[in-house]
Amino acid sequence: MIRQLRSETAKVTTTTTIVGLLAALAGLVVLAIVVHTYALPDERLAAGDGQRELLTDIGISLGGLFAALIGALSITAEFRTGTIRPTVLATPRRARVIAAKALVSAGTGALAVIVSVVTASVAAQVTLSIRGLASTPTAGDYVELLAGGAIAGGLLGVIGLAVGAIIRAQVPTFVALFIWLLFIENVLVELPDAHRFVPGALAQGITGLNREGVLQDVWPAALLLCVYAAGALLVSVDATRRRDIA
Amino acid sequence: MSAPVAEVEGLTKSFGGVPAVDHLSFALHGGEIAGFLGPNGAGKSTTLRLLLGLAAPTSGTARVFGRRYADLDEPTRSVGAVLEFADFHPNRTGRNHVRVLALSSGIDEHRVAEVLELVDLSAVADRKVGGYSLGMRQRLGLATALLGDPKLLILDEPINGLDPAGVHWLRAFLRRFADGGGAVLVSSHVLAEVEQSVDRVLIINQGRLLADQSMTEIARDGGSLEQTYLAITQAVAL
Repeated sequence: MIRQLRSETAKVTTTTTIVGLLAALAGLVVLAIVVHTYALPDERLAAGDGQRELLTDIGISLGGLFAALIGALSITAEFRTGTIRPTVLATPRRARVIAAKALVSAGTGALAVIVSVVTASVAAQVTLSIRGLASTPTAGDYVELLAGGAIAGGLLGVIGLAVGAIIRAQVPTFVALFIWLLFIENVLVELPDAHRFVPGALAQGITGLNREGVLQDVWPAALLLCVYAAGALLVSVDATRRRDIA
Repeated sequence: MSAPVAEVEGLTKSFGGVPAVDHLSFALHGGEIAGFLGPNGAGKSTTLRLLLGLAAPTSGTARVFGRRYADLDEPTRSVGAVLEFADFHPNRTGRNHVRVLALSSGIDEHRVAEVLELVDLSAVADRKVGGYSLGMRQRLGLATALLGDPKLLILDEPINGLDPAGVHWLRAFLRRFADGGGAVLVSSHVLAEVEQSVDRVLIINQGRLLADQSMTEIARDGGSLEQTYLAITQAVAL
C-alpha cells in the first residue's frame, strides 16, 4: 500500500495540472471576493457574521468544488490518457489503487480548500480596507475555516474520486459534479430541512457556519460527510473491481 | 516440457452475447517467441487483456505462471506488457512515467535509468511524452514492460511507428530475451517482420484458434507466412 501511495503522490507532483488548477482556483476566489466586497452594502459586510459568511460561501464552496474536481481528475485522467492500463498491470489488486488515490485525493482536496480560504481571507482584507471597513473575523474564525475546511476538502476530494471511478469518463464526471454542487444543492436551499444534509452544506457546517439550511453541529456534519465519502468509496471500489478495463 | 509460462484454456469473452474470444486454448513456454496473428477484430487484443486480468473472461481460464494475473505477488517482476503505444500522460516526462510505475512495484530509481538506457531514451527522458514520436513512445512502453526484469513479455503491435533501426533493434532484443529463457507473445499485422522474429504463430479469427504452427512447419510446407496466413483466414471468411 505504501508503494501505491508513493506512486500516486508522484503522479500528482510530476505534472503541472494541480498547480494550474490551484492557480485557477485562487484567481476565481479573488474575482468573487472583489465582486462581492464591491457589491454588498456596508451594513452587510460590517455585521458580525457577514464577512465570515462571505469567506465560507466563497472560500469553502469554491475550494470544495475544486477539491472534488481534483479528486475526480486523479482517476478520470488515467482513463482518458490510458495510463490506467499500466497502473493496474503494476497493481492488479485494484482496491489498493483506489485506496491510495483516496488518500492522495484527501490531501489534495484539503490543500485546495486551504488555498481557497487563505486566498479569500487575504483578498477580503485588502478589498475591505480599500472600502474603509474593518475585518471582523477573529483568529478562532480563521482556525475553524482552515481546519474545518481542510477536513471538508479532504472528504469532498474522496467523493470526487469515487464519482470519477464510477463514471470513468472525464467530461461526464465533471458535468455531474458541477450539476450537483452548483445547481442541485443551490435549488435545495429552498428546502432547508433537506439542504442541511447535502455534501456542500455539510462542508459549510464543518467550518461552523451558522445559517438556516446548514447542519450547525460540527461533528455530526463531519461524521455524515465521512459516511457519504466512505459509501461512495465502497461503491467505486466495487465498480472498479468488477468492470473491465478497455 | 516445462510448465507453460502462459496458458489459456477454453477462454471465452462475449460482449452483449457476441463472442469476441470463443473457446480459445493455447500455451506458451519459456524460450519461445510466439506471433499472435489475425485480422482486425479477430480477438487478439481482447485475449491479451484477458491474460493480463484487465478483463474478466465469460468462461474458461487465462493464467500466467500457473496463476491468474491478478493473483501474482509481484506481477511486474514476472510479466511485462505493452498494450497501447499511447498509454502516457502527455505532460509527464518519460522518466517520470517510468518512475511512477517503478514506485508502485517497489523498483528502485537505478532500474528506471537502466531501462531508459536499454531502449535508448536516456537523452530525451526528461522531455514531456507529448513531444515524443510514435517510435519513442513504443520504446518508452517497452521500457516500462522491462522494469521488473520479467520472464514473459506480452506486446500488442510493438512494431508500429518504429523506424527500420528500431525494428532491427527490437527483433534482436526479443531474440536475446527468448534465448535467455524468456517467453514473448507478440501480436502484429506486419507479417514480413513476424516471419523474421518469431518461432511460432497462433492465428485466430472470430475469436477462434485457426492455426498453431511453428515457423519450421510453415517453411517445410514451402509457403511464406503471408501465404499461410491468407490461406487460413480467407478460407474461414469464405
